[in-house]
Amino acid sequence: MILSLVKADFLKIKRKGMWLLCLIGPFGVVALQMVNYGVRKDYLFDQMDDRWLYYILNINSFTPLAIVLGIVILTSFMASIEDETNAWKQLVALPVSKREVYLSKFTVVSCVLFLSSVLLFLFMSGYGLTLGLGADIPYLRLMEYSFLPFFAAFPVLGLQLWVATVSKNQAIPVTLGVVGVILAYSAPLLPDWVIWKWPALSNDWDHSYINALLGIGFGLVLYLLGMIDFKRRDVK
Amino acid sequence: MFSVINSEWYKLRKSKVLFLLLVAPLIGLFIGLANSSIEIEEINAWHEKLVMMNFTYAILFLPLISGVLASVICKYEHQEGGWKQLMALPVTRGKVFLSKYLLLILLMLAMQLMYLVSIYLVGVIEGITDPFPMDIVWKSIFGGWVATLPLIALQLWVSIAFKSFAAPFAINVIFTLPTILVINSERFGPYYPWGQPFLMMNIGGSTGDVFFVPWDQILTVVGSSFLIFFIGGYLYFQKKAI
Repeated sequence: MILSLVKADFLKIKRKGMWLLCLIGPFGVVALQMVNYGVRKDYLFDQMDDRWLYYILNINSFTPLAIVLGIVILTSFMASIEDETNAWKQLVALPVSKREVYLSKFTVVSCVLFLSSVLLFLFMSGYGLTLGLGADIPYLRLMEYSFLPFFAAFPVLGLQLWVATVSKNQAIPVTLGVVGVILAYSAPLLPDWVIWKWPALSNDWDHSYINALLGIGFGLVLYLLGMIDFKRRDVK
Repeated sequence: MFSVINSEWYKLRKSKVLFLLLVAPLIGLFIGLANSSIEIEEINAWHEKLVMMNFTYAILFLPLISGVLASVICKYEHQEGGWKQLMALPVTRGKVFLSKYLLLILLMLAMQLMYLVSIYLVGVIEGITDPFPMDIVWKSIFGGWVATLPLIALQLWVSIAFKSFAAPFAINVIFTLPTILVINSERFGPYYPWGQPFLMMNIGGSTGDVFFVPWDQILTVVGSSFLIFFIGGYLYFQKKAI
């Protein structure tokens, strides 16, 4: 049952530009560094002995912003395709549970974001290889900075999907997203418990996997809260 | 004309949308108070606050929130055939577009003024005793507003074109994020429309002119991008099938 719901949700986002966004996100993040390295390669090479690490960190200064904004756009879009045509009522009138409807939306957004992470890994490694950053290619670190921000952003995803599905006015989740991206941008100034800081993969313990584990755990909590609230509410 | 603006205002007045404007001073307070550790040698302690608050505010917040406001102002028309009802009234499309735009820039001005209040509050909370540099702050607040005029015109255009909030927001994000890098470039920075709010709010610029940016740059970059976006949106709305 859930599989056919997910399929239906994938059909709904077809030809709406969402797959294009899924490509533009990771490409844009790497393209900004293409320009950056294209203009002042020598200066950037002098910044740190480990050129690969410096390159990855440069990319990672934009990844959290792109992920947070991508989540805002995707979740608001998933809600507005039902809002626009007043389809919520029709959707929940079908013999499916509201919990599955919510799970399906969550799954589709996660799939699109995960694909973006895979693309980020490919683009980041690909451009890095052409730059001549050194013979030791840090595959593990490349994977770390491609996939862990995605897991660390789960709480933001859970929160945004929750707010987007229960708000009649999409200005609310989008404004929350703007505030979120300001918080993600100010990550170094924030304490570790702020969820928008997690995709930046920095914390007091210096282990980035902690952010990913916390992200999955707390993301699950927010997902459940959102699902319970969505189920409880009346659909107009 | 005035009655069209008035009716636009009625649609907004009792909605919770006006709370959106309050986000600006809250963000201002957050950035101002979170950065308290940075110390720059300055004659006036306000300057250092202004430099760092305006940075995040003008690069990310101002362009993004202006797009949200533009979507909000078209929300009622996108629901249940609102455009049809509006156009059935004895008003021209040109007047509708113009009054939506005018109301938007007034809201942005109100938001800038509230941000101004938040700058002052940050100073009071941190106990800055230096005199408040009103001449500089005024330039920055008003300059940031002028720089967003073309961005608002574009966002109004795409908000009229798309029903959902997500699409105009996505376009806004795609142009806004690169600003973080572009403003570092001396060659390209001055020509990027989305970088203008930062350049015109950054108090480090030349102080001889009315704004922190030379007049010819304002006229060419802000002026021409405003003309392109405004005329583009205006013509699009004239021809849009409703």
